[in-house]
Amino acid sequence: MARTSRFSSKVDLTIFVVCLFTALVIAVVPGPAREPIAKSLRRSVMAPLVRLQRGAERWRAAWVAAERNAATRDTLALRAFSAASLEAENAQLRRLLGLGSRLEWGFVPAEAIHAAGRAEPFTLTLTAGSRAGVTVGSPVVAPEGMVGKVVTVDPTMSIAITFSHVDFRTSAMTADESAFGIVSPHLGEGSDSTRYLLEMRGVPYRSQIKPGTVVYAAGIGGVFSRGIPIGTILQEIQTPEGSWSRTYLVRPAVNPGLVSSVMIMSQRRANSGMDGVWQMTTALDSAVRGVAVAGDSIARADSAARAAAARRAVIDSAARLPRPVDTTRVDTAAAAGQRPAPAPARVVPRPAAPRPSQPVAPRDTASPAAPPLADTVRPR
Amino acid sequence: MNWGVVIRTALVCAILIVLHFTLRPLLGWRAGIDFILIALVFGAVRMRPGLAAIFGLLLGLAADSLTVNSFGASGLGMTVVGYAASYLKAVFFADNVALNGFFLFIGKWVFDVIFFLMAGQLGGAELVMQLLVWSSLSAAVTAIAGVLSLTLLRPVLEARTT
Repeated sequence: MARTSRFSSKVDLTIFVVCLFTALVIAVVPGPAREPIAKSLRRSVMAPLVRLQRGAERWRAAWVAAERNAATRDTLALRAFSAASLEAENAQLRRLLGLGSRLEWGFVPAEAIHAAGRAEPFTLTLTAGSRAGVTVGSPVVAPEGMVGKVVTVDPTMSIAITFSHVDFRTSAMTADESAFGIVSPHLGEGSDSTRYLLEMRGVPYRSQIKPGTVVYAAGIGGVFSRGIPIGTILQEIQTPEGSWSRTYLVRPAVNPGLVSSVMIMSQRRANSGMDGVWQMTTALDSAVRGVAVAGDSIARADSAARAAAARRAVIDSAARLPRPVDTTRVDTAAAAGQRPAPAPARVVPRPAAPRPSQPVAPRDTASPAAPPLADTVRPR
Repeated sequence: MNWGVVIRTALVCAILIVLHFTLRPLLGWRAGIDFILIALVFGAVRMRPGLAAIFGLLLGLAADSLTVNSFGASGLGMTVVGYAASYLKAVFFADNVALNGFFLFIGKWVFDVIFFLMAGQLGGAELVMQLLVWSSLSAAVTAIAGVLSLTLLRPVLEARTT
């Protein structure tokens, strides 16, 4: 038994050595000599396996291509999404630059950081503080209009309340200055949807404001300069004091949730006026009205000149006719009204009409001429 | 000779070889699973060492037929691995999952050493990098895949015929 096992081991070892020698020989022989063996293996045993491998690699290529396409699609979608936000940010920054160039001086640009999850949602943290010249009470504006005012100042940052804060108040007026009031946040009846709206209170009862009218800061009270847009009138709302004053709901010009960059104006700049910074619509309206009135007056003057010329022509033609015995005068106005305005008539010099002799009043001989009164005061 | 065991072993080896040409390119890993080596070890531990050497030589030559410049390198490596696996199995006489995993790891790494040294395509730092990093990784992945395959195919390998 042991002899058989030893013999088997020798056979196995011999086979192993032969296999090793064969593999070595195959490995060292030149390529053209071993190619027939490889070719026969490829065409027989390996052919179906290579076909399987080709199919697997196609699957793999399709899988990779699908993943690449999905990644490309996701990348494009992400870029498109970020492009839209970048475009909006770019537009806002451009508007802010425009506002800066119109303000010219006395402002500090700052980024507005929304304090998410804080107890006071109607505040903004601004990235500029006292080192940049910000003071408590400085008005905060955006290109669209009023945002709020600074309430806390630190060296490098400050905190502002927006117009939706319960403590916010400012005087307001319409562009044509026909109505004044106080703008405050619309606290509503617990409805979140209207919480960001404003109320314009205390408008005199005689002043009715149409929906769509733009409301501006009136500049009374000091913080906000006259002419900063606040919002647009939505509708009149009923309040307890409705019998002697009106209250209007105002849609703010600025959406505080979308504000990311603002301008903090210095008090000196705010006190110097906002002429030319925000174009008040009334100025545009008055300009348009002025142009229209000027055009109307020119047209009126022209038509008046035409009517006068026509009237003069009628009179002249009447004067050239043989004068009848009856000296009844022609109603030239009626004639001008009945006939169309004639073409400019040839002007003929009007002959001088004989002036009628003035009747001489008879002298009252009955009353004697009174003697002149003697001046008793002045000495002769 | 139990023909049932022979047939089942041949079937498992065929499945593993097919996996080598289907699953491996589908995964496309840099350190891929060598299913041919798993098939060799699975078969070799159920054969006599001499037969295992022949099995390794044939598998290696078949794999080499798809290469251009390294024909014979895989044959040499698989001959050594097949004979060693069969011999060590006979010496240790153990059918342990961890031991099988160890055999697979050592077998794959030794095969890669022989293959890359024989093929002579890599040299210097590149060869060291290949043997120490990529061959080790590939050996580990192959060992894990081999242990999983053994666990899954054990019912087939141990099925008793009535």
